[in-house]
Amino acid sequence: MLPWIYGFSWNTGHIVFLGAFYTVLVIVGTTVVSALWRSRRSLRHQETEEIRWHADFHDLPAADRVCRHVLTGEFKKRQCPHAFDCRECDIHAKLIESHPLTVIANSDEDVFGMDFPLDRYYHRGHTWARLEDDGTVTVGLDDLGRRLLGSPDSLELPLPGERLVANGTAFNIRKRGAKVRVLSPIDGEVLAVDGPAGEWRLRIKPDSTDERSFRHLLRGPEVKPWLMREMERLQLALTAEGAAPTLADGGVPVSDISASYPGTDWDAVCGKMFLEG
Amino acid sequence: MANQIDKEFISRGLKRCSTSKFILWMAPWVALLIFGLYSAGLCLVKGLNQTNMDNRFAFGLWIFLDLTVIALGAGAFFTGFLVYILKLHELRAVINSAVVIGLVCYSGAVCVLAVDVGQPLRAWFTFWYPNVHSMLTEVTFCITCYLTVLAIEYLPIVLKNRRLREIPAFLVFEFQLHKLTYLLAGVGTFLSFFHQGSLGGLYGVLRGRPFAFREGFFVWPSTFFLFIISAAAVGPSFILLTTWLVQKITRKRLVRVEVLRLLGRISGLMLAVYVLAKTVDTLIWINRTSPERGFPASQYYSWNPFGTWILFAEIVVFGLLPALVLLTPRLRARTGWLVAAAAMACGGVALNRFVMTVQTLALPTLSFDRFLSYTPSWQETGTFLAVVAYGVLVYSFSFRYFRLFPEERDLQAAAPPPDKREEEPILAGRY
Repeated sequence: MLPWIYGFSWNTGHIVFLGAFYTVLVIVGTTVVSALWRSRRSLRHQETEEIRWHADFHDLPAADRVCRHVLTGEFKKRQCPHAFDCRECDIHAKLIESHPLTVIANSDEDVFGMDFPLDRYYHRGHTWARLEDDGTVTVGLDDLGRRLLGSPDSLELPLPGERLVANGTAFNIRKRGAKVRVLSPIDGEVLAVDGPAGEWRLRIKPDSTDERSFRHLLRGPEVKPWLMREMERLQLALTAEGAAPTLADGGVPVSDISASYPGTDWDAVCGKMFLEG
Repeated sequence: MANQIDKEFISRGLKRCSTSKFILWMAPWVALLIFGLYSAGLCLVKGLNQTNMDNRFAFGLWIFLDLTVIALGAGAFFTGFLVYILKLHELRAVINSAVVIGLVCYSGAVCVLAVDVGQPLRAWFTFWYPNVHSMLTEVTFCITCYLTVLAIEYLPIVLKNRRLREIPAFLVFEFQLHKLTYLLAGVGTFLSFFHQGSLGGLYGVLRGRPFAFREGFFVWPSTFFLFIISAAAVGPSFILLTTWLVQKITRKRLVRVEVLRLLGRISGLMLAVYVLAKTVDTLIWINRTSPERGFPASQYYSWNPFGTWILFAEIVVFGLLPALVLLTPRLRARTGWLVAAAAMACGGVALNRFVMTVQTLALPTLSFDRFLSYTPSWQETGTFLAVVAYGVLVYSFSFRYFRLFPEERDLQAAAPPPDKREEEPILAGRY
C-alpha cells in the first residue's frame, strides 16, 4: 500500500490500515532478524551443544524428564525444570542441605548383576565421572551403557584439547545403525583418551572441582533407585509397541544386549536410554 | 539402502511405514497434482475461457474453494492464539499439525487465486498499484503477510528434522526462532482476524446483490464479523477431524483423547456464538435489510434448488446441531459423535461459503435477469483437485519426516501425563 498511488488520501481509515500493515511488516521482519542475530551470537559463543541438549531435553517423553527426587521418592511426580542441571535448582540445593547424602566410600552398588562403584558420580545419560587425586576427572561409560552398546561399529572420540560441556556431546558411537551421542557429565577440557580394552575413558581437566560442579550428578544412595528406573525404561523400550513388559525379574543383562534383540529398533532404544531427542 | 537413508530422516522413536509403501501412497496424489497443474496451466496460458465462468458468473468453484480452505485453515491462527497468547498448553499437542494445515490451506488458496486472477507476470501489480477502495486489497495484503508468517512458523518444524538439526546453524536458528514464535502467533492472529473478516465483508458490501448485502458497524457489514466467528469455530474442528483421520489412516495414537475433546469444546462454544449471531443477522436481514431494498427474502428461496432448506441446513443442521453435540460432555466423550459433529461443522462452513459465493451470483436481481446456473469445467475441477492433492502431499511428507504431534512418542511408550498438582515433596530423606 503506497501513499502516492491514484485515489489515496490521508484519511483515518487509510492511516489506520497503513499503520497496522507496516507494524506487521516491522514485527515479522524484526522477529526473523532477531532470531538470525541471536543464532549468530550463539554460534560465535559456541553454545551449540548447550542448545542441542535443551532441544533434546524438551523433546524427551514426559516420563523421562522426571526430577531425580522422584526417583528417590521425595516427590510423587515432578518434571525437572532445569534440563537435569541441578546446579541451577533451588529445590535440589535445599533438599541436599536438609538431608545430605551419605556415601560409603569404596563400596559397589550391584543392581541386576551390574557393577556400579560408588566412588564416582553418575550422569543420567549413562556416563560416570570420578575425581582423581591430581584434580583431573576420569569420564567413562557406565555398566548399563556398555552393555547397551556392546562392541560398537564405530567410535568418534574427542581429541585432546577439545572442550566438553556438561550435557553436551562427550563422544559418538555407532551401533547397529544407531548413532548414539553420549553426553558429557562435566564441563572441562579433554586431556587424554585412554582406558582398558573395550572401554573408553576420557581424562578431563574440569573447570572446577568444588562440590557444586558435581551437584547435577547422581551419587551414593541415589544410584540404585535411578538404576531400577532405568531398567524399567529399558524394559519398556525393548517391549513391542502396545505389549506389556516381559523381561523376567532376577536376570542379569548380557554383555551385549543389542545382540539379544535383533528385531528391535536399536536406534530408538539407544535414543531413549542415552537421552537423545 | 534407500530405506536406510530414508529412515535417517525420520524422527527417532517414531514408527513410519516403509519407503516403498510411502511412495505407493504418494503416487496417486502426485498423478492428481500433475493433472491439476496441467489444468491450471491451460487456464493460465489460454485464459479464463477454459472455465465455465463468465462476466455474470465471475465467482465459481475456485472462490468457493478459497473461502472454504481459508476458513478451515483458521485452525492455525486460532490454535496459535490459544497456545501462545492464552497459554492453553494442552493444545501444544496439535500446534505443529495446525501450522502445516494452515500453510497448506493458505498457500493452496493463494495458488488458486493466482490462476483465477491470471497474468502471473503482473502479480506484483496488486501490491504496487492497489485499489485503496477495495476490500480485496485488504484480503490480498493480509493473506500474503499471513502466508509469510505461516512459512516462518513452518520453518522450525522443518529444521527440527533429525538430519537437518545435525547442522549447527539450523539447530541454533530453529531454537532461537522457536523462542520468538509467540510474536508470530500474535501477528498471525491479528492478520487472520482482518482477512477472514474482509472476505466476509466482500459480500456484505455488494449493494447490487441484496441476497448478500448486509448492514453493519462503521465500514464493516455484519458478514465481516460472521466470517471471523465461523472461521474461529471450524478451525479447531478441522484440526480435530484431520488428527482423527491421520490416526485412523496410520493406526497410531497421535494425541490424547482429551486434546480432541478440548478442541471439540472450543469449537462448540464458538459455533454456538456463531449460530446465535447468524440467526440474529438472518432475522434482521429478512425483516429489515432486504425488504428496504425492495426484495422480500422469500423470493430468494423460490429458485430451485436453493429452497429454504438450504437456510435451515446452514443454521440448524450444520450449525446448531454440531454446536449442541460439541457442548454436551456426554456426547463429546464419544469419539463417533465428536468426529461427526466436527465434520458437520466443517461441512457447515463450506455450505455457508457456497451460499455466499454461488447462490449470491445465481439469483436474479434485475427485472430482465434470469436465474443462472453454473457447472465448473474440467479445467476448473482439475485445478481444485490439484490443491487437494498438494495438501495431502505436503501433509503426508510433513507427517513422515517432521514431528507434527509432539506427544506421539510419549503415547507409544504409554507414559502417564505429567501432573503438576503433585509437585509438593511428600517425604524428605528417603535416600
